[in-house]
Amino acid sequence: MDKNISEENSFIKKYFSSEKWKYLWYTLSHPMDGFYWIRRKDKGSVPIAILLVVCFSFCFSLNRYLASFVVNDINPRSVNSLSELGGVLLLYVLLCVGNWSITCLMNGEGRMKDISIAVGYATLPLILTFIPATIISRAIAADEESFYYMILAVGIAYAVILLLIGIMQVHNYTLGKTLITLFLTLIAVFIIIFLMLLLLNLISQVYTFFYSIYTELIFRA
Amino acid sequence: MKIKAWKSVLAGTLAALVLSLSFTGSVSAEDLPYNPYAYDYWEDVVHTPAAYEPAGMIRGGDLLYNGESIGAFINPQDLCKSEDGNIYVADTGNQRIVVLNQNMTEVINIYTTFDNNGAEDSFNMPTGVCVSSKNWLYIADSMNRRVVILDIATGELMGIVENPQSDILEAGYVFTPLKVSVDYADRVYCIAQNMFEGIMVFEANGEFTGFFGTIEVQISLWEKFWRRLATKEERSKSQLFIPTEFTGIDVDSDGFVYATNIDLEGLQAVRRLNPRGEDVIKQGENENVGGDLWIEGSTDYAGPSQITDVVYRDKGIFSLLDRKRGRIFTYDHEGNLLYIFGGLGTQIGTFMAPAAIESVGNQIVVLDSNRAAIFCFNETEYGRLINEAVRLRYDGDETQAVEMWRQVLILNENFELANSGIGKAYLTAKDNETAMYYLRLGMNREYYSIAFKRYRNDILKANLNYILTGMMVIIIGYLVGSKIVKKKKGIQKEEDILNG
Repeated sequence: MDKNISEENSFIKKYFSSEKWKYLWYTLSHPMDGFYWIRRKDKGSVPIAILLVVCFSFCFSLNRYLASFVVNDINPRSVNSLSELGGVLLLYVLLCVGNWSITCLMNGEGRMKDISIAVGYATLPLILTFIPATIISRAIAADEESFYYMILAVGIAYAVILLLIGIMQVHNYTLGKTLITLFLTLIAVFIIIFLMLLLLNLISQVYTFFYSIYTELIFRA
Repeated sequence: MKIKAWKSVLAGTLAALVLSLSFTGSVSAEDLPYNPYAYDYWEDVVHTPAAYEPAGMIRGGDLLYNGESIGAFINPQDLCKSEDGNIYVADTGNQRIVVLNQNMTEVINIYTTFDNNGAEDSFNMPTGVCVSSKNWLYIADSMNRRVVILDIATGELMGIVENPQSDILEAGYVFTPLKVSVDYADRVYCIAQNMFEGIMVFEANGEFTGFFGTIEVQISLWEKFWRRLATKEERSKSQLFIPTEFTGIDVDSDGFVYATNIDLEGLQAVRRLNPRGEDVIKQGENENVGGDLWIEGSTDYAGPSQITDVVYRDKGIFSLLDRKRGRIFTYDHEGNLLYIFGGLGTQIGTFMAPAAIESVGNQIVVLDSNRAAIFCFNETEYGRLINEAVRLRYDGDETQAVEMWRQVLILNENFELANSGIGKAYLTAKDNETAMYYLRLGMNREYYSIAFKRYRNDILKANLNYILTGMMVIIIGYLVGSKIVKKKKGIQKEEDILNG
């Protein structure tokens, strides 16, 4: 019993300590140094990164659902936060795995852990802008849309910059090499999706094969 | 059997009772041979009450002329209405024009022959008819390659339009008129077979003056790219980019020509051509005047609507007839889709090969060439309210239209035009919050924003005291707070220095 509690405590201490949270904000304002020390001194936390991705998915759905109708062309009936969460998490995993598999071959220094932290932390500006943008959207009229879009654009731009710097610093790359690896990452993601679909198709064919044997036996017997 | 009959009598009386009592006498959905629907802002199908219900079928065999049956229509291709309300049917296969009275119960006249400079002349496949304001009958006599103009009262020949001469026509061009229409100045607009350059226009004296409303060919960048790559030989073998032919034509009271064509993308199947031949149609909120919005699929039933005829009704309302799925689409003057009804089938009120549409009084009349019959549709309460509201709106009488829109909403809560109309009325009445509610339901961004701005200003004005006080409190609080923190830090530092 005591051991359990202490284990739990150590988990929280290890991954959600106030130090880690503070370092998240430090990384946001000092991405160069921040991501560098995440790799060298284990200053980051994977659970926090995953939590951020989940939060981002939530904010994304919230924005689609609640943004004022002046700026929102989405049918609220078509918003499904759970499937969007699944999509975002899948994309996150694909990006991390894709990047890891490419950088492994290209002398990247980052481990899987560091890559997932870099990608996860990069969603923080999105979380920080999507919620205020959604609130502001409810206080604007049709010709003031640019405020809303500007906030969103700033968030997305900063997230992209963070992602770029994060990958760059974690692997100790130059900017050019980072861009090349990101491009290759995208290709890797497509290859992974392709292979997954292929596998799924094969499995379903094997399944139907055995199922047809089963039905044949049933009818014969 | 007996019980059944008794039951049906009871049901009939009950229905009659309900109909007489109820405010709206619309047919229930199960009785209709089609599912009426419309599209909402998101281009989703929404089911609506029927705007028109089938009111009967008129076949040639049922009609009497001079005590004798006139015989079935054979492949009739066109019908039109004269100003006195009579209906003219181009009974193509029987080489005749049949004139019916307004209720289509009696045959008034049949044109089969006319006196052509002393010789008796007849028609060969008349495919189009039109009556001008002078009460002249224009007949597109397709296989005789001419348009025949007769005086309705006397049946005398008033002129023949044939053999157009012009430099812009190819040598050896054979003029085969299919549909014909006339404007207030007796100009003849003619849709001719294999004439892709546009509608042919003839002056009152029969002289060919040129083409009208040419449909420009859209070549995508991708097609241009491929043509660039192709060799000369390949290019000569590839399909030519030919504009589509017009299919139906109608002229409104101001002389604007409504002309339909088959659009392969299903985006714009009707053009409203001004006297210079420019398209001035408005395309509404869905940016579409091409019939159905959802056209995906690979069956014969899928694909864009094939609009085959148009009727301009009044006050900007016009209806399109789709021969692919037998539907009738009605739009207002801004190009907003009002209602859809009709379908394919063999019941009364469904078609097999709809060919022409006309509006007679409050009825819509459709000619089916395959079933050789005329189908009538009566306005329901729902259709009447919408038509009335749109007419009032067209005249700028939005306040009166609101009452109609309210009743439309009782029948169909999701009708966006009604919500937006009511919202606009509240906006003029300065009830901004209610206006916002309705304009939001009507998906009207522009007017919603106006209402919202006013509403926001009102709130700001009403609460200005609190807002300003709040801001003062925050600013003062911040100043005082930061001073205290500074002082504390200063003390801390001094202590640190003393200690350290």
